[in-house]
Amino acid sequence: MLIDFRPHARLRADQPVDLMASVAPVVAALADSAWDLSRVRVVCDWVQYRENFRDVVDARPIMSAPGCRPDLEVAVDVRRGGEAALGSLAAACLSGGSGRVYLEDWALGSAGCVWSFNALYWSALELWEKASGRGYEQALPGGESDGRNRDAARELIHELFEVWDSLARSAAIPAELVVVELGVGNGHQAKVFLDEFRRADQARGSDYYRRLHYLMCDYSQHVLDLAGETVAAHAGRVSSVTLDATRPLTSLAFLKHKVFLVYVSNMYDNLPTDEVAQLNGRTYAVETRAYLPSPAAAELADSISGTPGQLPGLVHKLLRLGPRLLTDAAPAHFPDVDSAVEFWRRAWSMLRLEERYVPLAGLDQYAVTAQCDGEALRPLLESGADVRMHVSNGAVASFADSLLLLHPYGRLICHDLFVTGVEGYRSQFRGPGKYDGSVVNWVNGPLIAHVGRRSGFDVHYEPFRHQSAGHIVTMTAQARD
Amino acid sequence: MTRGKVRARVPALPTTVVGSYPVPAWMERLKTDHSRGRMSYSQLQDVHDMAIKAALLDQDLAGIDIVSDGELRRDNDIDYTLARMPGIEIPEPVKDYYFDYHEARVAALPAVPAPPLGLAADYAFTSAQTSAPIKFSFTGPFSLSCRVRERGQVSRRDLVMAMAGVLNAEARALAELGAELLQIDEPFLAGHTDQTALAVDAINVVTAGVDVTWALHVCYGNRYARPSWEGHYDFLFPEVLRADLDQLVLEFARKGDDDLAIIEKFGWPGELGLGVVDVKSPDVESPELVATRIRRALRHLPADRLMINPDCGLRNLTGATARAKLAAMVRGTRIVRAELATPTETTQGATP
Repeated sequence: MLIDFRPHARLRADQPVDLMASVAPVVAALADSAWDLSRVRVVCDWVQYRENFRDVVDARPIMSAPGCRPDLEVAVDVRRGGEAALGSLAAACLSGGSGRVYLEDWALGSAGCVWSFNALYWSALELWEKASGRGYEQALPGGESDGRNRDAARELIHELFEVWDSLARSAAIPAELVVVELGVGNGHQAKVFLDEFRRADQARGSDYYRRLHYLMCDYSQHVLDLAGETVAAHAGRVSSVTLDATRPLTSLAFLKHKVFLVYVSNMYDNLPTDEVAQLNGRTYAVETRAYLPSPAAAELADSISGTPGQLPGLVHKLLRLGPRLLTDAAPAHFPDVDSAVEFWRRAWSMLRLEERYVPLAGLDQYAVTAQCDGEALRPLLESGADVRMHVSNGAVASFADSLLLLHPYGRLICHDLFVTGVEGYRSQFRGPGKYDGSVVNWVNGPLIAHVGRRSGFDVHYEPFRHQSAGHIVTMTAQARD
Repeated sequence: MTRGKVRARVPALPTTVVGSYPVPAWMERLKTDHSRGRMSYSQLQDVHDMAIKAALLDQDLAGIDIVSDGELRRDNDIDYTLARMPGIEIPEPVKDYYFDYHEARVAALPAVPAPPLGLAADYAFTSAQTSAPIKFSFTGPFSLSCRVRERGQVSRRDLVMAMAGVLNAEARALAELGAELLQIDEPFLAGHTDQTALAVDAINVVTAGVDVTWALHVCYGNRYARPSWEGHYDFLFPEVLRADLDQLVLEFARKGDDDLAIIEKFGWPGELGLGVVDVKSPDVESPELVATRIRRALRHLPADRLMINPDCGLRNLTGATARAKLAAMVRGTRIVRAELATPTETTQGATP
């Protein structure tokens, strides 16, 4: 049996975790089970997200050849384990646990319905915010998107001015100076940038503001409309483009090699991702399937005058149609929009993910993105040491596509939650967690850096300098050589 | 009149390549393993030998008239030659990734006689594998100098001219082995447009006394399939007119053919290697598009002064895409050849 206690730093904290209390009851439950203990691993995490997709104890089959009995991973949330009857939870989990209402079949994480929930949150944001009584930025850990930091914006603008001054000296500055923001939120970060840009340009007497073309890009026209109102004072300089953040080039091909700044703030951590794992020398994809715990599902079904068996169909209708149209599609269950939104919020709150490990036949048999196969993961896995990591598929796709937009002297700057080294996956839980109606996963920094490097870009990470606390990292990608 | 005998061995509008050929992902891994000391040099050479044979076969099957070794022994456009240049030191020879550039510095001014750079031996291997005419390319002294970070007391000009002398000795060795078409690549020149005179001075040292067909390739960068600079070829003129060259090999497919007028305007007397395939795009051109690009060029230059090639090396494409592009290039060229054989309105006025 292998025991992997990842939050080991907490053993030395002011209020240290009790290792024995976190692990021994689980091991005892395993000893009482029929499992071959030589084929079991116990993995302990400290799941820092109050809202997440895990139970205190989860069982994850590690699949092998068809017909062979899988190995087993037992996952423990140490944070909640201290408050729970861990032994009995583990025993119940090992015996199959209480019933579950599954919402989907097994699939790679990025294909799971949690991402449909995530997309719905952004497309029907105003309904969620109305029901929750707070804006999405308030739901973020820092209470404010990092893009709104004025010091960071000033620094960035100063650096852009230096590049343009240099190009102007060699008569190589284009007539239009293009900045692209991917994922605009409520437009406040664009407003901070544009306000500071105009002020700085006027102060130095240059003419860059007049030549600036700021493109706000988001997949939601509704979000763009709201953001457009926020930057109304800069209307002559701003355009809006509706696009899929994972494929910006599809909509912005006309800007290939023309953009001086692609700015991304807290978006990559909210894009679909798979997870892969290297366990005992073998590489696995993590498959998931979403479920609702039976007791909670029964309550939810009762609240809409339905049965648990109807829930998967109704959830998928919700995800496909949104809460407004759901009232037309299922009026017997949802007499008004408020009831549909309440169903959405409750379903999201109770949503859990079951997981299993499925062997990969070869890295090239796995697609990180449509353009990038799993060979990109090789440098991260080649040490052979056990690790489980996010692939950040959506972030990698968005990043790789965005690089093609950049002018030879352009750069991509991103503020987000990055894991900056593979070892970072071995000591801290990196998601998924829940922010209100959306998903958060830390972004695989080493993979992004590798993909950037293979495209001719140096990728640099440093802690976000304009925020004293927090985990936000600034990633900068710039053409090398 | 173009020097050398290549023209006599190929049809009108001969098709050729610029130099590099796709490096498969598995070979990139092996090259990186070698640069990290995890694979021996002799094993890597075996890999290179087989890859070059395959690249030659690919070009043969595509119908390319003048082939190359694909520059498959080289990590990138600089290091292979620069690291062998006498007087140049590479302080940290281990690379994380084979395609990275070495950092280089001057320990002494390169001088001849010097140990061979190995280019002639590479040519000898290639010529033993094919009976087709070969284009052999190497990076020019100006671009090599651009990757030397520490020159100490040595001036840029002295370094460039000294490296040109070493390359001239290598070119003489290449000619003695039967090389017919040598191409100097200056991938950094478009980023230093005020240095054309120096580059041309050095080119004239490289080519001096070497009686082959000499080509110069200048593009706007192809590292990682990205342009490094933007601009127009007018920066080459009038300096390049005094270069001892027979052919300019330039990119037009990606940039459009506006610059063809520049070639005509400045009265370039030699041949033009016409880039008709965009090597920065995975989209395969149709033969008809290739034919159209050649016809447009024929408005500016006669057929006997054109060679047909991709914009730049094919290194950044997949093998399948490169093969498809080369095949399209050959088919498109054949369309125009047929038209030249039976002149139509589209080509009639342009033929000499």
